[in-house]
Amino acid sequence: MFLEVCVFATIFLGFLGLLYKRNLIMKVIAMDMMSTGVIAYYVLSAARRGVFTPILIPQRQVDYADPVPQAVILTAIVIGLSIQALMLVGVMKLSRSYPTLDVRDIELKNSR
Amino acid sequence: MNTLTVVWVASGFCLGFVIYLLPQLTRSLALAQGFFSLGYGLTLAVQPEPVRLRLLDSFGVGLFLDDLTSFLIITNALVTIAVIFTLWESDKTPFFFAQVLMLHGSINVAFASTDWISLYVALEVLGIAAFLLITYPGNERVIWVGLRYLLVSNVAMLFYLVGAVLVYESHHSFDFVGLGEAPPEAAALLLLGLLVKGGVFPLGLWLPMTHGEAAAPVSALLSGVVVKAAVLPLIRCALLVPEVEPVVRLLGVGTALLGVGCGIFERDVKRVLAWSTTSQVGFILAAPEVGGFYALAHGLVKGALFLVAGQLPSRNLGVLQQQGIPRTLGIPWALACFSISGFPLLAGFGAKVLTMKNLLPWQVWGMTGAAVGTATIYAGAFFLPWKPLPTPLPAGFWWAMGVLLGGLLVANGVYYEAFTWGNILKPLVIIACGWGLYWGVVRRVQVALPRGWEQVEQILGLMSLGLVVLFGLVWAW
Repeated sequence: MFLEVCVFATIFLGFLGLLYKRNLIMKVIAMDMMSTGVIAYYVLSAARRGVFTPILIPQRQVDYADPVPQAVILTAIVIGLSIQALMLVGVMKLSRSYPTLDVRDIELKNSR
Repeated sequence: MNTLTVVWVASGFCLGFVIYLLPQLTRSLALAQGFFSLGYGLTLAVQPEPVRLRLLDSFGVGLFLDDLTSFLIITNALVTIAVIFTLWESDKTPFFFAQVLMLHGSINVAFASTDWISLYVALEVLGIAAFLLITYPGNERVIWVGLRYLLVSNVAMLFYLVGAVLVYESHHSFDFVGLGEAPPEAAALLLLGLLVKGGVFPLGLWLPMTHGEAAAPVSALLSGVVVKAAVLPLIRCALLVPEVEPVVRLLGVGTALLGVGCGIFERDVKRVLAWSTTSQVGFILAAPEVGGFYALAHGLVKGALFLVAGQLPSRNLGVLQQQGIPRTLGIPWALACFSISGFPLLAGFGAKVLTMKNLLPWQVWGMTGAAVGTATIYAGAFFLPWKPLPTPLPAGFWWAMGVLLGGLLVANGVYYEAFTWGNILKPLVIIACGWGLYWGVVRRVQVALPRGWEQVEQILGLMSLGLVVLFGLVWAW
């Protein structure tokens, strides 16, 4: 229960960061924080019935962790990493041409 | 058929990477993939049994392709072919065409998958490919537009992932069917992700700027097929899970009305088309069981409209009303406007009749209003003076128009029962009302809608509100 609260707090704080931070880099970092929370939730969900590494050894009778959410979230981690890398490259290019990272300034310049 | 399906799913990505190795064959390979998908879609359409593939035993990971999927695959293939024809003689690098194929392939995967995780992967790959296509020109404006798209869609997909694991916890598989047993918060989170990706109003407020600022051929792809990669799963859920169906239908009516409401007063041609996409997505969702045909009709028309809009001398409707549009572009432009307004003899007519027939009683008035609004929007585009202006058109442009508009004519055959006197009269009355509204009211008033809502922070904020509203809707039903 305590862990769940922590996980949801991470997701929530990440989302708040996305809303309230005006700096683009901070927004990307907040998004990363949110995805950390989501990943942790998958790991937590896998560990509901046991925490043993799911490598089956016949003579061992223990509660294994569920391998499916772990396998699934691995894909999501890789995708999240590549999207963040892509976004940071975009932010770098933007910061050179606008000389600012403030989202509202960029938005103002683009609304014309 | 199973082997063919697997080969077809992989082919988009494989050919995309082959382009990097054999850059001299770029255009031919891209076109070959388009025709392969077209052939596959047609084969699937005449197949009596749906194709069902289970990749892992009990985790719900698999592919499922039926008639509904075949419509969307054909749409994807035709729009991709048209875009490649248009760009045949352009100076786009092999990188661009490789991304087009990645986009094409990931859309196909999104159409074929029946579990939340394959869909997630397909939608994310699609997002990356779309970002690279949007930002291809490399100036700061498109980079900002692309960045904003990627940020919004990635945040939505994070919510979606939480929903996916909630489905897994209650159903022990990632299958779409599991949504029925999942708690309402899972449905709300998953729907949020799909609605944002599908550009459904008000969560899809990123769409007008993104589709308006991207280069015309990229907009044709984005509006014609990319949004449908998230709309098809919504339709599937509505058909599989009875609790979700009324929510999807309600959202369809809402986005159809709000999309036309915003589009009517827009003066920028590409933004008009983008708002119209928002409203047409509503038509697809309003009657989920026949959404496939509507998606085909809309995809072809919107592809044609964006490709023509890219050749127009100006983007401003006011300027175009004074200067006129080149006569050569007038005919495809008018045909596309007719089809999307629901004029008989083009596929838009059959699609609209079919959708209207499958509405629930409480939806009819809203959707009729949206149809009138659509006719009003396109009256503004249709009543542009034709002038003998010289326009250098790329050679492949007419091939592209042939593919898209020819597709619209041929697609009439899908629902030829629509041609009865009653059915023909109703759209004509709707179009007459729409044109009357245009000449009577819209042409005389100047309303500039505020664009503040399209700022990235507002869109993110709307997501949190949308989550609460969706939870309420799912919970209440």
